[in-house]
Amino acid sequence: MTAFLEVSNLTRQFGGLTAVRDLSFTVTQQEILGIIGPNGAGKTTAVNLMSGVIRPTAGTVMFAGQVITGQSPHRLVRSGLVRTFQSTTVFTDRTVYENALRGAFLSVYPGALHTFFGTARARRMRRETEQRIDELLEWLGLTDVAHLTAGNLPYGYQKTLGLVIALASRPRLIMLDEPVAGLSAEEADQVRETILRVRDSGITVVVIDHNMRFIKGLCDRVLVIHQGHELAIGKPLDVLANPAVIEAYLGRGHAAAHR
Amino acid sequence: MNTTTVSGLAAPRDGRALATGWPARIAIAGILALVILPLLPVGSFVLSIGTTAFITAIAAASLHLLIRTGHVSMGHAAFMGIGAYASVLVTMKLQLPFAAGLVAAFVAPAILALLIGPLVLRLAGKYFVLVTFLFGEIVRMVFVEWTTLTGGANGIPGVPPPHPRLLDPQAYYYFALGFAIVLIGFIARLLSSEIGRSIDAIREGENLAECSGVPVLRVKVCIFALSCGIVGIAGALQGHFIRYIDPTSFSMVQSLNLVVVNVIGGMYALVGPIIGTAFFMITPELLRDYVELQRVIFGIIIIVVIAFFPGGLVEIAQRRADALRGKRKVGP
Repeated sequence: MTAFLEVSNLTRQFGGLTAVRDLSFTVTQQEILGIIGPNGAGKTTAVNLMSGVIRPTAGTVMFAGQVITGQSPHRLVRSGLVRTFQSTTVFTDRTVYENALRGAFLSVYPGALHTFFGTARARRMRRETEQRIDELLEWLGLTDVAHLTAGNLPYGYQKTLGLVIALASRPRLIMLDEPVAGLSAEEADQVRETILRVRDSGITVVVIDHNMRFIKGLCDRVLVIHQGHELAIGKPLDVLANPAVIEAYLGRGHAAAHR
Repeated sequence: MNTTTVSGLAAPRDGRALATGWPARIAIAGILALVILPLLPVGSFVLSIGTTAFITAIAAASLHLLIRTGHVSMGHAAFMGIGAYASVLVTMKLQLPFAAGLVAAFVAPAILALLIGPLVLRLAGKYFVLVTFLFGEIVRMVFVEWTTLTGGANGIPGVPPPHPRLLDPQAYYYFALGFAIVLIGFIARLLSSEIGRSIDAIREGENLAECSGVPVLRVKVCIFALSCGIVGIAGALQGHFIRYIDPTSFSMVQSLNLVVVNVIGGMYALVGPIIGTAFFMITPELLRDYVELQRVIFGIIIIVVIAFFPGGLVEIAQRRADALRGKRKVGP
């Protein structure tokens, strides 16, 4: 098993606060890695560091054999690493279809002059992208709502659309920041099924969430972060039975009761 | 999902729909009307208003281009002034032809925009407004203080026309109309291309756009430079038309006017600044008999439009059109 994404000694300080401290882990191809931890543990900071939204103070990130530390998000998308956001997940005033088309910027944008003059190359790229988006929407069950305004859809659909936008750029690895936050148990199950299908299509997944049930049913391995540092990593059931993890989540008393 | 519930304002407003169909027909009809206008027995006063309107429309449309990225500049007239001074100085001091002045009018403000863009375009919303406002004032001060080059507060009189034949108001009318069609056409094409899609994506969700592969800052800086270059051309056209330039023509008031034109017309469609320009140019003429009330009435109209139609006059038209369409398409 070779590492597809390799994080080494990643550290980020905000002033005096160390949000992420000496974090190291690897993700293998087509794996689903969950990252969990209490509020403020540094999960989102870790994803921001890996996806180029912020630069690390120290440490490196390697993706598919290339050092990508500190590269801006739009360049990482080009190399196949895409992330979704916790809150701003879709373009609310636009149709589902337009949302997907925007996600596919790289495959639909032929260069400034080509798009300005509407050359054959521009038309071909547009045609191919439209076809791919039709398939993508069909695959994730959004075809029927393709021409509705995204903001008017139920929240579960919007979360799926967020995934569609990310997938439209043909990633090799996606990072999902709380994909089921605010969803009902039923909707969360649907999202889990979708993520499993995404993985089965050959895409590696890193997912952050609080929802234990969701993480347990989805991930191959789980990384627990506490105070910006790795607390445990391993198979979901092993990690969740780890006394240190229980203590970090629920406090000392509960940890004793669980033993 | 019930598709029939989605109509009216919630209907998809994709750029594609604007590129063809009735908007194109209206645009052609409008251009034809403007071409025919000077052939009617109108005075040179109307032609002069028309010429000023075309120049204002170019400037407003160039600001619209920038507004589409989510940045409202309160210093756009400063770039217009830089274009005007560049062209005037190139033609008068260097004795070069107008074509060279025009190139300078585009290049000078565009280069300045390229230099400050990477800094100021990182600022969001109101901070960008404040910084561009201050920038506009700094540029105006330079126009006033650098007397050896700019003539200071007295400005530069005796600016030559682009061509001796363009001393004729009717000729200049067509000259400015030509520029307006080409430049606004250019902006329209840009906005309906994939570049336009990424611009709208940046305004509506900068992070989402960046994480879809759009090089957000680079797009913003390029659009800012283009916008400032185009407004520089508008400045040159104005300087060589009025044949006199001075700092007050490119002050804060002019910047504010360009913003108002966009807000009144509508900020999220290119027809907005064009309709806004027409409104902005024609209303004062209609209120000519009430000179002292002119500004007051104008102000009230602006407040009413902003309060009830945040999408500007375009939104009013859109709502009317949707209402009419809704009546026609009752039932499944």
